[in-house]
Amino acid sequence: MNLEIKDLTIRLYPKKSGGRYINVVDSVDLNIKGGEIAAIVGESGSGKSFLGLSILRLNPPDVSKIVSGSVKIKCLEKNDELDIIKLYRKDLPSVRGRLISMVFQDPNTSLNPVIKIGEQITEAIFAHEKVGKLEAKEIAISYLNRMNVDGRARFNSYPHELSGGMRQRVMIAMAMVLNPCFLIADEPTTALDVTTSLQVLNLIEKIRLESNLGVIFITHDLSIAKNISDKTYVFYAGQVMECGKTEEIIDNPLHPYTVSLIKSVPSLSKDYMQGQRLFTIPGYLTNDDFMPGKCRFYSRCFKKGKDCLQNIPLSLNKINSERFVRCLKV
Amino acid sequence: MEKEIILNVSNLSKYYKYYKSIFDIRRDVIKAVDNVTFNVFKNEIFAVVGETGCGKSTLSKLIMGLISKTSGDIYYYGELLDYKDKKKDFRKKIQIVFQDPYSSLNPKKKIYKIISYPAIKSNIIKKTDRLDFAVSLLKNVGLSEEIIYNYPHELSGGQRQRVSIARSLSVSPELLVLDEPVSALDMSISAQILNLLMDLQRQGKISYIFITHDLKLVRHIADRVCVMYGGKIMEISPSPDFFDAPAHPYSNVLYNSILSYSFKKRLNFINLNENNKGLEGVNKEKEKTGGCIYFKKCYASKEVCKENKPPLKDIGHNRIVSCFFPFTHQDL
Repeated sequence: MNLEIKDLTIRLYPKKSGGRYINVVDSVDLNIKGGEIAAIVGESGSGKSFLGLSILRLNPPDVSKIVSGSVKIKCLEKNDELDIIKLYRKDLPSVRGRLISMVFQDPNTSLNPVIKIGEQITEAIFAHEKVGKLEAKEIAISYLNRMNVDGRARFNSYPHELSGGMRQRVMIAMAMVLNPCFLIADEPTTALDVTTSLQVLNLIEKIRLESNLGVIFITHDLSIAKNISDKTYVFYAGQVMECGKTEEIIDNPLHPYTVSLIKSVPSLSKDYMQGQRLFTIPGYLTNDDFMPGKCRFYSRCFKKGKDCLQNIPLSLNKINSERFVRCLKV
Repeated sequence: MEKEIILNVSNLSKYYKYYKSIFDIRRDVIKAVDNVTFNVFKNEIFAVVGETGCGKSTLSKLIMGLISKTSGDIYYYGELLDYKDKKKDFRKKIQIVFQDPYSSLNPKKKIYKIISYPAIKSNIIKKTDRLDFAVSLLKNVGLSEEIIYNYPHELSGGQRQRVSIARSLSVSPELLVLDEPVSALDMSISAQILNLLMDLQRQGKISYIFITHDLKLVRHIADRVCVMYGGKIMEISPSPDFFDAPAHPYSNVLYNSILSYSFKKRLNFINLNENNKGLEGVNKEKEKTGGCIYFKKCYASKEVCKENKPPLKDIGHNRIVSCFFPFTHQDL
């Protein structure tokens, strides 16, 4: 099982911009195997959710366009590699949910409030497989049980009758019901409490082990990435700034942005001074940062020099076989 | 040295009544805040922690007088807190910063008007001085004066939260209630806000009630921690002691659910709770039992917890815990 994104570039044409565009995802390479969890970390507005959406070609077609690149997926050994970008629109439903599925950030808005959850789950089964009503119900119940939801009792519930954590588990059940080989989880725990978010993470870890699932985990919290993922991609203004094994990145961050991100969160270690000033990144992410011709982190970087403006770090520097950094100063 | 008590909350309760069903006239009660008692000392950061629905936001609204209380009293420097008392003008002394800077600023007003409005209303400055006044406040919170003619939508989240803090500081309050001030912001921005809050506190005079669900922030910023569950106080401890050894079982569950990258290994997910015991959210059924409200989810519960309500008791080191079997320093 393998999902390979190569040189993916997506242009966003904001409304009323008069034809101006920004590359909201800019030549992103990403590689993930079955059973791996890759975390995409970045702040709001950095284009990480957009990347998640466009892997499934769910990006809004009226304002955005995939310019170049490929998303190749291979699920079973006997199957051929499939390039999602080259597929016709009518073939996309056979990929969505079946090969790759997605869990969205807010379970309150992504479940239909007027339809029972059992119906919403079986809907996905009927769309892809020729099964009877009772059979589909049994499948749905078994998946709900796997997600630690009492399937038989909750099958006829409406979303408002469930707690937030339970709704998110129903969302994961819905995503897993066709047994896909990859799951894109777009900030699945942001809207949840600390204790319930731990449950959801627990669950993702469990289904990864059980069914050798590859997960792309989009989050803004490096500490979640540290605790759940094998690989981490640090995302800023549409570009991958640094990628590699999660432990290496946390223990030895190289890119100035990663360094600042790690320093700006209070730590729990014993030698940590309580009440000291936190490290901050000046300014904030703006649309200008997406402009080509300079390092995208330049305006907020603490390591910037004159040569940063002239020599643009166009490609990722290779540190070792899995570690890449987009910075001149490393 | 005995510290001066700035705010004393005693036996404060807020009950909401609701009809069980439209065919049933009997009404049921949700105890959003139930018999809460605590003190806030001068120049202290007092953190209130708990999950959604535990009543921490209701508590902040009660302190601000935004909703009416069911019973109990709040004292400010020993005087009964009554916002209707025009002479004492408590509004000048206690202010609040709301969670979401996107919805708590008036989108139709310019920044300088937003900031100076409370000061004009409470006769601290004249209307003609409002521009200079706004500029000086903006400098206080680390914003440049260029933005005074901007509208809120032109600012970023961090800037908006700073404006919101500047507005609260405009009447120079002595107590600031911060209702999840950074949970809507990015990591890098929230660090800026936390630094600002700590700087302001070190200049003296101001105390905070810091409401949050993020224990990492509490560890960083707070002097004392108050853990709430189902409207009740489970534990009040000085922050260093709390993070050495949380005393209440629920505090322990909260503490163990923090994710941090200082952990050396990949988290071995939850060993505390098989079958997810202890991690479910607060539910309404809890009121029915005569015993401890945390009984059903507690991993340390015994028979006695089922029948009797645990009182708040002092376990030394200035710690108060509502549990029959708290962890103490001796247990370690």
